[in-house]
Amino acid sequence: MAPEGTAPRAVLACGEVRTCLLPAGQALDSRAAAQLLRLRADERVLVSERPNLYGLSPDTLTGVDCRLPSSNGARVRAVGTVAARAALTEGRVLQTSAYFRVPATGPDHRRPWGQYLVRPGVVEPFGRLPREAVAEGLLDGGRHGELDVGLIADGMQTRLLRHPLLDHRPPLRSRPTRLRWVALPARDGDGPSIERFTLAEDALRTVRLRVPEGVRSADIAGLCDDLALHDWLLTTVVRILDGIRLGPGEPWPRPGPAGDLPVVVGALRPAVDHLLHLWMPRARVSGELAHLWAALEERPGFTRQWLTLVQRVRDQLALHAIPPSYREVEPRP
Amino acid sequence: MKDVVFRETTAEPRTQSVPLSHLSLELGHLYMEDFEAGPGRLRRHFEAVRPWVEAARSAAADRAGGGRPRISTCFLVDDYFTRFSRPAELVPLLLAEAGRAGLTVDYLARESGCAVNGKVPVAEAVAGRIVEEPPPGSYGNRPPAAQTGWLANGVRSPAARTPQAMQRAAAWQPPTETAARRHSVFLDVELFSDTPDGQRVWSCPFLAAVWQLARLGLLRHQGDAVLDPHPHTGSAFPDDWDELPALVRLNPRAAPFAAYRTCSVLPNRFLPVEHAVRVILDQLEVDAEALRQVGERSARENVSLPASVADRVSYLFYAGS
Repeated sequence: MAPEGTAPRAVLACGEVRTCLLPAGQALDSRAAAQLLRLRADERVLVSERPNLYGLSPDTLTGVDCRLPSSNGARVRAVGTVAARAALTEGRVLQTSAYFRVPATGPDHRRPWGQYLVRPGVVEPFGRLPREAVAEGLLDGGRHGELDVGLIADGMQTRLLRHPLLDHRPPLRSRPTRLRWVALPARDGDGPSIERFTLAEDALRTVRLRVPEGVRSADIAGLCDDLALHDWLLTTVVRILDGIRLGPGEPWPRPGPAGDLPVVVGALRPAVDHLLHLWMPRARVSGELAHLWAALEERPGFTRQWLTLVQRVRDQLALHAIPPSYREVEPRP
Repeated sequence: MKDVVFRETTAEPRTQSVPLSHLSLELGHLYMEDFEAGPGRLRRHFEAVRPWVEAARSAAADRAGGGRPRISTCFLVDDYFTRFSRPAELVPLLLAEAGRAGLTVDYLARESGCAVNGKVPVAEAVAGRIVEEPPPGSYGNRPPAAQTGWLANGVRSPAARTPQAMQRAAAWQPPTETAARRHSVFLDVELFSDTPDGQRVWSCPFLAAVWQLARLGLLRHQGDAVLDPHPHTGSAFPDDWDELPALVRLNPRAAPFAAYRTCSVLPNRFLPVEHAVRVILDQLEVDAEALRQVGERSARENVSLPASVADRVSYLFYAGS
């Protein structure tokens, strides 16, 4: 977390990312994705096709002047801008991500606004920043009137979901998730690390990171977007499998009009059509942060869980392709 | 940095850089009323401008740290709000009057090029870069007082509601300038208006803010420079303003059009417009990569540059209209 441009050294970075299924019947192709993410007429949407289809909007800024949340009640006023951007993966999963970084100290008065605007994504404290207390406060979420980075990510999501390209007929039911993160400087000589990844209730995940100087906050946000995307995929497929009754119960041949799918197949098919090909950890995580995935692969084992889920989905579909008279045992989870 | 084996150009940002002078010196704006006042008006203008031009040049030389500063001069003609005369008639007259005062106009610009340039909706794109100054208490919520088409340097007075019968009218509350020093100088700037047939007309201060960004080398459209100077070839000027490029290089030996700093020599009547320009510039997030390029180049040349874009702009106002 070092100087970015002319900005003073940042000692804390924080962000929140909202992940949701794009409410559209069909996934958007790269051209439509670029149209959706065109938040500004004069800046290109970055579109990438390797290793998967991905679009990234330009950053937009929101001005803030308010107190920072803190765990010990310290009252720290801060002024600056929060950067926000949107990303669409395989035309299917929409993420809006807002983030900022904070230097250790700032002037104890408000400066002309133009001076903040030339340091996009920097929020300056009045005086000294009580770093630990604010980091914890940010992760816990502040009180009303304190800096709410999630609100900014949310505002961008709301804005994008109003886009006329979207028909609001999603192919499957899913719930959006929120992932809030803070990054503190790593101890001298240490590399980046994940200190804590917490699944909280209410679809909130929190991540506490340590990163060495020189890591850009946009790259940390990129890592957290990637974690959020894959956590959302796990959450969504787990919920699909949770919501269906497996096992026997349907006669064969099925009643009803020809072409009607068994309930299980009907529930699992959208996952196959729209989600199973999306798993690609680290696809766009900067090199210096990519290895942080290893800790989560070790415990709880994100990819291990995903592979098991995918195998279950495929097994169920395979079993339902066999007429019951040929099944020696009934399908079980 | 490690060697990258695989690259995707559509996935990488790309920003064209522009050549830069030390100072972009504006010798004036020309509106219809100036033209209608006859050639005497232009003559008096250039005579009034001349000593300030010399002062600006010598200040730029001091800042350039001993070396010879690169200074380019420019002149802006309004062809946006009113169309008057023809380039074939006006430009030679303008150049003659400037020459009479010992001044050279290096670049001539048309104001409509700051609104739309070819297919590029310049003004609309710049308007998309406004990041409103947050009043204290902004925690990430949408600013409640946003007024479409207006930009203020503070918090507006609450709208007065019509008092119902028997109720006292709410006490008036003053607007406040966010960066006020004790007392406010509140300014609310109209950025554009829409005509009944749906045509958007950008305001003079807004186009002037775009003009300043172009002169500071900070205007880009999808990474490409906007308002590229076209060399003037041949001796004649066209009959129609639309046939004249938005920015023409009249002097083949001129220093680059864009510069680290700008200075405009204008009559007093432009003071409110330029105050509005400052309010707008102070709330514009310019292209970050363009800003970085300018910062890096100035550092390499040992030229000190204010961080804030609005602070790179200066004026000399002379008495008169």
